[in-house]
Amino acid sequence: MASIDLEKMLVKIKNTQWSLADIDWEAPGAELITEEQWPKLKEFMSDLMWIEHVGARAFAAMAKKAPNDTLREIYSYFHAEEQRHANAEMALMKRWGMLEGDEIPEPNINLRLVIEWLDRYADEMPVYVLGTVVPMLEIALDGALCTFLLETVDDPVCHQAFEKINDDESRHLGVGFTVMEMQGHGKTYIKTVQMLAPLLDPRLLLGIASYFPLLNKMRDNVVAMGLPEEKLYAAMNKFEKIGGRTADGRRNPWFQIIRHHARFVVDRSNRAYHVPVDAIVRLTGYIPRRALPAVPSWVKELTYRPAA
Amino acid sequence: MSTVSETRKPRRKAAARKTSSAKRVKSQAEAVVSRSEVLIIGAGFAGLGSAIRLRQQGIDDIVILERATDVGGTWRDNTYPGAACDIPSNLYSFSFAQNPDWSRSFSGGSEILRYVHHLADHYQLRPLVRFEHNVESMQYDEQQGVWRVQTSKGLFEGRSIVMAQGPLSNASLPNITGIEDYQGHKIHSAMWDHDYDFTGKRVAVVGTGASGIQIIPELVRKAGFVKVFQRTPGWVLPRPDFETPGWNKALFRRLPASQDALRKALYLFHESVALGIIWDTPLTGLVERIGRMHLRMQVKDRWLRRQLTPDFRIGCKRVLMSSDYYPALQKENCKLITWPIARLSEKGIRTVEGIEHQFDCIVFATGFDVSHSGTPFPVTGRDGRVLGEEWSGGAQAYKSINVSGYPNLYMTFGPNSGPGHNSALVYMEAQIDYLVRGIQTLRERKLKALDVKPDAQRAFNRDIQRRLAKTNWNSGCKSWYLTEDGFNATMFPGFATQFARQMAEFDMGDYTLSPV
Ligand SMILES: Cc1cc2nc3c(=O)[nH]c(=O)nc-3n(C[C@H](O)[C@H](O)[C@H](O)COP(=O)(O)OP(=O)(O)OC[C@H]3O[C@@H](n4cnc5c(N)ncnc54)[C@H](O)[C@@H]3O)c2cc1C
Ligand SMILES: [Fe+2]
Ligand SMILES: [Fe+2]
Repeated sequence: MASIDLEKMLVKIKNTQWSLADIDWEAPGAELITEEQWPKLKEFMSDLMWIEHVGARAFAAMAKKAPNDTLREIYSYFHAEEQRHANAEMALMKRWGMLEGDEIPEPNINLRLVIEWLDRYADEMPVYVLGTVVPMLEIALDGALCTFLLETVDDPVCHQAFEKINDDESRHLGVGFTVMEMQGHGKTYIKTVQMLAPLLDPRLLLGIASYFPLLNKMRDNVVAMGLPEEKLYAAMNKFEKIGGRTADGRRNPWFQIIRHHARFVVDRSNRAYHVPVDAIVRLTGYIPRRALPAVPSWVKELTYRPAA
Repeated sequence: MSTVSETRKPRRKAAARKTSSAKRVKSQAEAVVSRSEVLIIGAGFAGLGSAIRLRQQGIDDIVILERATDVGGTWRDNTYPGAACDIPSNLYSFSFAQNPDWSRSFSGGSEILRYVHHLADHYQLRPLVRFEHNVESMQYDEQQGVWRVQTSKGLFEGRSIVMAQGPLSNASLPNITGIEDYQGHKIHSAMWDHDYDFTGKRVAVVGTGASGIQIIPELVRKAGFVKVFQRTPGWVLPRPDFETPGWNKALFRRLPASQDALRKALYLFHESVALGIIWDTPLTGLVERIGRMHLRMQVKDRWLRRQLTPDFRIGCKRVLMSSDYYPALQKENCKLITWPIARLSEKGIRTVEGIEHQFDCIVFATGFDVSHSGTPFPVTGRDGRVLGEEWSGGAQAYKSINVSGYPNLYMTFGPNSGPGHNSALVYMEAQIDYLVRGIQTLRERKLKALDVKPDAQRAFNRDIQRRLAKTNWNSGCKSWYLTEDGFNATMFPGFATQFARQMAEFDMGDYTLSPV
């Protein structure tokens, strides 16, 4: 897979748009969800939908920091497309009777912390930090969560929706890896130092502090749902393989960091990592909701309704 | 009238334009409707102003060709609710015909239109105008030294031509997929439908430029719900609009010098703003700070503020002026949508977040066709050269007004005469005085033609583009000022004073003179 031409990609993105209205959410098949599946699926979908939404916000931040107009426009499309994924997943939840009235599913506390962090600091992060984290999350979603979902759920409408979602995702990944390589281009030592400097930024540390526990919590959730851990390993392998396919890609220090970190997350036997992080997950569980500021208004844009 | 590109039906008959005109010009057999010393195309500020000044110099063999049924140009067409000037009225009027009675510091469109009507009546210009004469093409006859202008109502001849058809007179619809599919009501800001009742309606406004931000507060007052579709947020500065007190008008009337003084002061103020807007100077930061403070004070929600924060240097695109736009966006019945538009559907607008927003009416405040690299109708000069072809890589002229190979042809708002920060009329007046001198010269020296030398034009453009490179417009954002390739054929890179100085000098050495 050679690097893609971003100009052409933008045209392709514009030409392959879809809407919730393209799917018949009332079509038969909802009854194929088994009673046993239902509660776990509900939690899974809720997590998934929130990851999409958080991913959307990350793309919004990347659009602000994009190095050129084309990439800026691509990212603002991806921002909206991730929102579309969240909306479509909510529409599925609605179809399966998983939404109480018009309510957006409650985000768990770790999500709330990540949302809070994104809202406050994401726009200030250099583009290569999010530019590496996001593809990693996307490949985990794409390669593990979504395929797993499709293997376990028979509802044809779900398959129809995810076919569209996955098409979008393949473009997100194409752009993601291309950008990672662009950032690895040029090999001076100074550049590496520059790229790593944000590690010392307390704002980034705060982000890490909210992001690590989220990943652990998610991993536990999906594993509880029956997702085989091998699938996560396979996804990480894919990330390493594609991200490291060229010398430029391998030279991107953020790729190296995220890659190692991803290994830690999936390897549950790595106690040095998981004992403290799991402890934080438990700790965050004690944070009273009242202590958190009101959700930012971008969260309220979510909807399962195809028409407004 | 303005015509909308890409729409199905032209609004008035006269708009059956650009048809077989080129062919018709060739058939020399056609009778000439009239011959005149000067032919002016367009009866907006520029066309009327040219006629006034020409007559003041004793040149009165003039015909004005106007495609609509009345004078007024921009201000006849842009009658949308809230239409107003964003340059103080005292500066947005001709210095040779000041109006002591402006009712507000920033006049509404209808008051400006009244002023244009006043000019037409006071200077008895209407008899010169051939209404419903749409210019379709024009061709230079070198032998005779005349221009043949093909209109929808016959052939006109003139020794000199003033192309005053307006920089922003052809409304344009955006290039959105499915625009024909939408079955609800469509309105373009420059062709307002005054019969449509917005009360209780669900309305979309596409576009948040100069027209959009004026329309939105008015619609929010009236419509049931308004969704505003924004692609890129612009810089919005507060607009200190107030009524002119009675004593002030009386003072201006009794003591015109006091109005002159105010005009000068406003002029200088706008010139100083230029320093911040045209070039990246310490003032740029200051003006941006004012813009950000304005946003902060008017918008409390952090996300909305982020959506409204421009990400380009101020001045790179037209600076917007409004004090009621931000508050309107936050009304209960208004919502800002920043998701990119995917397409129009039968019932509304589908955006990329997957939702179809349904409307009774879509208002397009999407601006105008600005030809950077073409001409609004075919213009054929000496030896059959075609201006649109010569300009395919970006328009170029000499001092914005003449083009080599097209003798006796003057353009108001030609290439690189756009004001970024000052009244368009200040620039226009300088151009008008220049073209009056050219036409006078022709008459006094008994010349057939005055054609700018190619070298002079080339030297002028080298200099202009070099100066443009240092401006904010060329600092890397996309705007209607630039061609697709980023060539700036629109703006003048300097103060209005510098433009006036450029136009004050008529250098005969730069022209080839052909005797009769
Ligand atoms: C909504 C809006 C707000 C504006 N606000 C400001 C402002 O605040 N300050 C400022 O300085 N400038 C402003 N402008 C710019 C404005 O266009 C100029 O200030 C000025 O009015 C231009 O005058 P004009 O005579 O050159 O062109 P126009 O007023 O456009 O007149 C051109 C005339 O030519 C006619 N015409 C066009 N093509 C043909 C043809 N082929 N054949 C025959 N006739 C034809 C048209 O019908 C029209 O009557 C604004 C423009 C718009 C659209
Ligand atoms: Fe997604
Ligand atoms: Fe994605």
